[in-house]
Amino acid sequence: MQFLAILLLLSAFLLTRTTRLKSAVHILVAQSVMVAVACASGGLETETTHMLVAAFLTVVIKAGLIPYALFRIVALLEHEREVNPILGPNASSMAAAAAIVLTYATIDRTLPGVLSRDAIATSLALVFIGLLLIITRRQAIMQIVGLITMENGLYLLGLSTTRGLPLIIELGIFFDVLVAVSVLVILTYRIKSSFRSTDTSILKELKG
Amino acid sequence: MLELILLALALPLVTGAATMAVRPPVALKSVNIFGSLLTGAVLLWIVGKVAFGGKFVSDWLYVDALSALLLLVVALLSMSATLFSASYMERELNEGRIKLGALQRYYLLLQLFIFTMICVLVVENLGLMWVGVEATTLASTLLVAFYFNRSALEAAWKYVMVCNVGILFALLGTILLYYTQVSAGGTGGEATALSWTALRAISGHLDPMMVKLAFVFILIGYGTKIGLAPMHTWLPDAHSQAPSPISALLSGALLSCAMYVLIRNLIVVQGALGAGFTHYALLIFGLFSVIVAIPFVLIQHDIKRLLAYSSVEHMGIVAFGLGIGTPLALYGALYHILNHAVAKSALFYLAGTISQQYGTKQMMRIRGLFAAMPGIGAMFLIAVLAILGTPPLNIFMSKFIIIMAAFQSGMPLLGGALLLLLAGVFAGMMYYCTRMVFGVAPAHFVRTAVGIPAMTAIALSVSWIIITGLYLPFWLRQILEQASLIVAGRG
Repeated sequence: MQFLAILLLLSAFLLTRTTRLKSAVHILVAQSVMVAVACASGGLETETTHMLVAAFLTVVIKAGLIPYALFRIVALLEHEREVNPILGPNASSMAAAAAIVLTYATIDRTLPGVLSRDAIATSLALVFIGLLLIITRRQAIMQIVGLITMENGLYLLGLSTTRGLPLIIELGIFFDVLVAVSVLVILTYRIKSSFRSTDTSILKELKG
Repeated sequence: MLELILLALALPLVTGAATMAVRPPVALKSVNIFGSLLTGAVLLWIVGKVAFGGKFVSDWLYVDALSALLLLVVALLSMSATLFSASYMERELNEGRIKLGALQRYYLLLQLFIFTMICVLVVENLGLMWVGVEATTLASTLLVAFYFNRSALEAAWKYVMVCNVGILFALLGTILLYYTQVSAGGTGGEATALSWTALRAISGHLDPMMVKLAFVFILIGYGTKIGLAPMHTWLPDAHSQAPSPISALLSGALLSCAMYVLIRNLIVVQGALGAGFTHYALLIFGLFSVIVAIPFVLIQHDIKRLLAYSSVEHMGIVAFGLGIGTPLALYGALYHILNHAVAKSALFYLAGTISQQYGTKQMMRIRGLFAAMPGIGAMFLIAVLAILGTPPLNIFMSKFIIIMAAFQSGMPLLGGALLLLLAGVFAGMMYYCTRMVFGVAPAHFVRTAVGIPAMTAIALSVSWIIITGLYLPFWLRQILEQASLIVAGRG
């Protein structure tokens, strides 16, 4: 688990550094696969089939269907990249590091000696880093990547604190994530064709 | 009862499927009116059965007086919104603002939207409620983006991004709540995990610190969806850019459904924490929402944005009532949800009709409503007076109850502050309203007849506003009383 936690945090760090949309989606695929591995290993350890099902769905949806949709749209956006984000790569990496320190400190304080310390800290850090990406990145695709990172973090949190939510709720969440990304991709296509760009900082007509 | 609930869930889906199969505008219109009226009738039947026969409990579905109240809201609004859509969208089509294919897409998404809201209200499980609330966002996003022009895209992007982040916080809170349930040994397998009845039964044994943390995230998360300030930023954009019938559903039904889920969580949280912390949090968020909404109401130019900020204000009042927390205040808050839903939807229908007639949403360019369209003008005036809380209309009653409860429970300062703020809103909105309603219509104004379905929807909503201010039928009083007992944790 420690090894996976390090890899997951590494993926989040890389996300704060990349400015190319395509590499961001590549990192996202790797991250989702790691979440699935964590889920599957948990399932094998505790011999619960529903975690294996969830791991399988994670691979299909978060490492398959969602990246497929994202890669297709990124291929259309070859001139788009994250220029001039609100927090640059260096500052966001620093913020990510601070988030990790903070989550470990919080957990040691609220749940001292908890078994899945690394997993909980990692998942909360993923939530924060995902949020950071949504707030500080201007490219639509980067914000979508941030959203899925957040979701991955929450999924991992559920996994590490309570061995995952009941399967029927998890199925609902998977379905929602899939539809959410489809809706976001449709909107991104439309934004591209209306504004000739997917830099969301141009969305500022509505005020007051 | 189970059959009825399943029927209520199936009908919007069947109507949606039928929408896919037909293409002519007239057929689309009739199929959807028929489908929505049928759905509404089934929902009203369920409401009646709960009022007279008590709650329905099964493993995954659960309908008590609290859900029945919200089902009533969804039933009324989905019927009126579909009726209004029939005329409104027909005119959009005739005037070339949308294409024929778009109409089919509109009705399909409308039915899906109604379906997701019913889902939220009939499931028993807090996790599934979360799934349902997220689904309502997704179904409505493409309706907000419906015109696919620049401002609609901007509104939809903000809507889906802000609400998704918010709702992920609510998921975090829900996971924490589940963690406390597992720690308290309260899960005897999958069926009781996050089950609302199971959680409520053991709420006294949950770890209070963890529940408090969970509640903070749940309040922020669902608060985003409810439109409580400062998480309301998506709301004016989405409400103003969506087609008017959708604005009515967003404001009247969707915000109320999100509030419902917050209340369900609140009941469990209060069981674990007692009332103090949650009450303070709700009072602060509620009053802050009213304060934040006021300047925007006063300086507004766009009629639909004005109504949207008024929704922020009214959700603030509901939160305020929940925060006072006495049985009387809870009754007032729940009554206010229903009243606001009907009045605000009527106002959005009227605003949609008016902006279609005048060809603008800018209030400065709308004059002489009463002279140009006496019926619409009069109903607009009544609806505005209602939303501002003028006696004897329905919202006066609920606002009065909430403020009276504030004074009775030893919070005269808060009650007084709210009264003062409401007076400010009254002045601001009446200024715009009188400018629009009275005076002479512009010279180039051409009057077009408003379609019969739209007129029916508006007239029925306005009659509801007048009648329920004066008289509450027995069954409705029954539902409201039982629902406030449930919120107080004694139902």
